[in-house]
Amino acid sequence: MLTRRGFVQLGGALFVFLRMPAAEGETSSLDPTLLASWLEIRSDNTILARTGRTETGTGMSAFYAQMIAEELCVRPETIALVMGDTDRTPDGGYSAGFLTGAENVRKVAAYTCQALLALSATQLGVALPELTVSDGVVSGGGKSIRYGELVKGQHLDLQIPISGKPTRMDTSSGNGVAGLDGFVVTGSPAMKPMGQYKVIGTSFPMPGIPAKVTGKMQWSCDVTLPEMLHARMIRPATLGSTLISVGTVDKKRFPTAEVVKKGSLIAVVSPNEWEAVSATRSVAAGTKWTEWAGLPGSESLTKSLREKEWGSPASRGNADDVAAALVNAPRTISASYEQPYVRHAPIGPFVALADVRADGMVTVWTHSSHSQGLRARIANLLAISTEKVVVRWLEHAGQYGRTTFGGDGAESDAVILSQLTGKPVRVQWTLQEDLAWSTVSPAWVSDMKAGVDGNGRITVVHSSFFSPNNFDARLLGAMLAGMPCGTTKTGGWVATEWPYDKIQNRLEQAYAMPNLGAASVTGGLRGNIMRTPGQRQQNFALEGLLNEAAAAAGADPIQFRIEHTTDQRLIDVLKATAKAAGWEPRAAPHANARKTGIAAVTGRGVCAIKRSNAYWVGIAEVSVIPASGVLQVTKFTIGLECGKIINPRQLDRCMKSGLVMGLSEALKEEVTFDRGRVTSTDWNSYRILTMAETPEIQVVQISRDDVGFGTGGEAANAVAPPAVAAAFFDATGVMARRIPLTPAYLSAILRP
Amino acid sequence: MLTLSVNGAEHTVSATPETPLLYVLRNELKLTGPRFGCGIAQCGACAVLVDGKEVRACVAPVSTVAGKRVTTIEGLGSDAKLHPVQQAWIDEQVPQCGYCQSGMMIAAVVLLARNPDPSVAEIKDAFTNTPPSPHLCRCGTYSAIIDAVQRAAKAMRA
Repeated sequence: MLTRRGFVQLGGALFVFLRMPAAEGETSSLDPTLLASWLEIRSDNTILARTGRTETGTGMSAFYAQMIAEELCVRPETIALVMGDTDRTPDGGYSAGFLTGAENVRKVAAYTCQALLALSATQLGVALPELTVSDGVVSGGGKSIRYGELVKGQHLDLQIPISGKPTRMDTSSGNGVAGLDGFVVTGSPAMKPMGQYKVIGTSFPMPGIPAKVTGKMQWSCDVTLPEMLHARMIRPATLGSTLISVGTVDKKRFPTAEVVKKGSLIAVVSPNEWEAVSATRSVAAGTKWTEWAGLPGSESLTKSLREKEWGSPASRGNADDVAAALVNAPRTISASYEQPYVRHAPIGPFVALADVRADGMVTVWTHSSHSQGLRARIANLLAISTEKVVVRWLEHAGQYGRTTFGGDGAESDAVILSQLTGKPVRVQWTLQEDLAWSTVSPAWVSDMKAGVDGNGRITVVHSSFFSPNNFDARLLGAMLAGMPCGTTKTGGWVATEWPYDKIQNRLEQAYAMPNLGAASVTGGLRGNIMRTPGQRQQNFALEGLLNEAAAAAGADPIQFRIEHTTDQRLIDVLKATAKAAGWEPRAAPHANARKTGIAAVTGRGVCAIKRSNAYWVGIAEVSVIPASGVLQVTKFTIGLECGKIINPRQLDRCMKSGLVMGLSEALKEEVTFDRGRVTSTDWNSYRILTMAETPEIQVVQISRDDVGFGTGGEAANAVAPPAVAAAFFDATGVMARRIPLTPAYLSAILRP
Repeated sequence: MLTLSVNGAEHTVSATPETPLLYVLRNELKLTGPRFGCGIAQCGACAVLVDGKEVRACVAPVSTVAGKRVTTIEGLGSDAKLHPVQQAWIDEQVPQCGYCQSGMMIAAVVLLARNPDPSVAEIKDAFTNTPPSPHLCRCGTYSAIIDAVQRAAKAMRA
């Protein structure tokens, strides 16, 4: 497997030979079968590693460095990462989770370590079993050699076994692309037992933080090119408006500004950014659009969803057994839960820079979390080969899932405008534009029914979930310009992982419909996934049902959950979190629960979720003023067992901050819209949690060496809404079956 | 032509007087620490110091800061010695995506100048209720920010 290919004159690095892909459209730009594409060990003992995945703000850049360092037996500080660039990374793949991409670099590091040990055995003249390696130094037989020295001027001809294909357009899939994982490294190289880890399990700092806090970081919004034009977009008056006429630029006031137009895609460009901003306002005021009113209005959303013909669902479970068990159950409990449209709402609106060259090459600078997916979509938009498209990734505001399938924000705008103007174009969306035109996380309505035995324990559950499309990643700019924008297909989606294995009779059915307003020019409210997608919404209903059944049985809700599972991992984290929270067993509601009065009442509530080899528990403590319906979360204890913990401090940060997003969803967030357009388009109308509303947060982490790695960051938001709703019930005796738990909603259910 | 004092240096800039300070800092002076968030003074991502007070650069016309001392996060400390707030942000590993954090650090510097030993409640109040808007973080790093402000306060008192 390992050969020495003689002296390499340039670079002083071991792995320097890269070659272009074999078959067009079938590979990334770097050949993933060559070690050289993944990893370079330099003669100064530093290491360059490449991954198509990106840092999404959850510390992946630290975790990847730790994974590689562990298997390669080096210090993580010696590793520099290239992330996300399609021309400089081998595997592609999306950054929806950390596990698949990390396994790639982990295996590559393990293969490389074996190769380096074999090379050392030859070089040192010491038998392989006698060699040990630590901090990049191989030792044995009284001799030692550093990796950098070992590889200096040589070429390691190591083949990396892979399977899979890069992300490509696929009209048969719901989200319009296939190959989300990109290339996957296969085989089973010898890897270090978890018990021997030195780097994994330590709180290695996130590499980009010093540059972020000193202003040295180059973010995607900071890239500039010679001749670059700044653009601002002029959007339709409603989601379905088409253009009647464009306003004109007052050249006396805005001498360098120009209107650029294709179909209903309109922008004003200028070399001067502020002139572009100012001229856009003036041109927008004079631009005329057709009228359109194809939405139900957010006030009527649930009613509208209830009136739909939903067709047949995606199902999991046995319908006949569940029907029989419900008939035979001595008692049943039914409840319906509602969740509104919410959105990712980053602090930085979408921004992108595109350079479409006369020679047909296209380069896009982006902060997409799925560069190869975006690359495929841009190639499809322009009807060119993916080999002509380079996507360069840089950090920017968090995406929280909205670019997972290669869907865009400003990228297709920038590409189309660059093609039209022949110059590089930077498109910066406004906040209002982002909160109106980016994809949204759709509303869900859930009808839940449980059958219980004579002791009130659940024997059967039937869940019915209803939601508009969750997988629309079509390019907005392309839709407006009338160019190829990709496809989306509606399908039901059962997202929950079932943690209560003692409830064996269960049927979960997910009904789907197209986007609200789907027939409009821009596809209506384009639904797309958002942090803990689907499962957050479905788990809200499942855990709500568990809490209602526990209350009906007069049982402590934690003990009630323990009684419905044999899964020791869930039981352990339930018990540890309860202990940390000082939980005293009793049934809800509290003996002092009250639904009137100006004096505050307090309550507590619990929920759990299982997701991607991880178990989460949330315990909320709230204070409610019944007279006003004002609810304050005073403390939250969040517990997690996600297998081996890679980085306790980053995990602590992820758990706390993800929980804040979940509390925000529980208490405040709702996309509002009238018949034609989104109306929650700034931070006063799309409200997110502030620091003052953040409770004291207590974190419980359980690390295990015997179940592999789980996803530690994502589902933190999902534990907030069911726990807070349960705590409201504990305080008042009134079930809250809808979020957000605003004073208006809580007042309404306290005084029906 | 306007003359600005930014991070201790004088700059002559060509922007028109009504151009918001943010565009001048980012595009003319290449100081990209302050960031475009909302453009309407609702989030705090663009915050800078002007004569020691927090100003939202996305809405402040550049003419209003002529003759005053502007400080961005690039000017808080030096390569040799970071500002205690920046060091605390690193030590506490505050940023997730980090997009809002330059504004958060500016708010911390302002708070610590008037209150060298703020309680958790005082920190929450300062970051939420100081006009013109709360400092917003979508990643939800608020509790890490509280930890870092208290760490910086301790370092600055020492």
